[in-house]
Amino acid sequence: MRQFFGWLSLVVLMVFLVIGALFIMRPFGEPPSVMDDYIIDNAQEEAASNNVVAAVLFDYRGFDTLGEATVLFAAVTGALLVLRASHKKEET
Amino acid sequence: MGALYIILPLALIACAVFVAVCRDLLYAVVVLAVLSLLLAFQFYLLKAPDVAIAEAGIGAAVTTAIFIICIRATERRE
Amino acid sequence: MSKIVRTVANQLILFVVIFGLYVIIQGHVTPGGGFQGGAIIASGAVLLIVASGSQEIKTWLRERRLSVVESSGALLFILLAFAGIGTVFFFNFLVGSRLFGGIPSVGPNPGDVWTGGVIPLMNLGVGLKVMAGLSAVVLALALFSGGEELEE
Repeated sequence: MRQFFGWLSLVVLMVFLVIGALFIMRPFGEPPSVMDDYIIDNAQEEAASNNVVAAVLFDYRGFDTLGEATVLFAAVTGALLVLRASHKKEET
Repeated sequence: MGALYIILPLALIACAVFVAVCRDLLYAVVVLAVLSLLLAFQFYLLKAPDVAIAEAGIGAAVTTAIFIICIRATERRE
Repeated sequence: MSKIVRTVANQLILFVVIFGLYVIIQGHVTPGGGFQGGAIIASGAVLLIVASGSQEIKTWLRERRLSVVESSGALLFILLAFAGIGTVFFFNFLVGSRLFGGIPSVGPNPGDVWTGGVIPLMNLGVGLKVMAGLSAVVLALALFSGGEELEE
């Protein structure tokens, strides 16, 4: 019985949190800042690129792409390291 | 066109449930590739073609190949 | 795999690579970019590996060379980022110059590849990186994992 009330209180807490998050959330299609308007208006002049997504990825938010490249590099390095090590152990 | 917005998420959910409950891992991987393709189409409908191309390339091709190679090295039945 | 699959894969790989290069080069005009095009070319490499077996691929494509290509792509990206450090890190210093210097008119226009400044070159770097990285991981998995070979 105690276990049942424990689960029930957990479920009630989760439902409360989800409904609270739904009320706090901004309406769909309205971003919380005005930065996107600036980027959409000025990307073609400043970055000289028709594709605004590419302009954001490589010009306005280049640091994020650098982080993504670092993550990919680390993933490939780790995978090759582990696989080569296991291969060598099997051979000898 | 409007019906697609209802059918496609339902198909996604059905594919995901099948992947979770299927005991044969090879079938699960193939259905996972189908799920990736449907997800790419859903991204395209939501006007995100960049994400759709990336999802179709990585989710449907590379991930499936990696899973199949892993199944080949281990066991097919769960 | 069977002979039919191998033949079709050998014919298809050309179109897959050309489409991937198109997505990379046109990344600043149409949807797409380095990551997406690299993923497409890597899926072509995966098709080759699955079709003709990793032992046959091993004779002309090693994951060591692929990791060299991946590192050079990352190096190109970071060097291009550092080249604009006179103004600020990741500055688009090629806009208006001779190389990829065209500026499109504001609003809807029929795109031009010769625009974008540093963005096409960075797309190329990221494309090389993603292509070589994903192919190297799949090739290493196919070569080094145990189990019987996929081909008959």
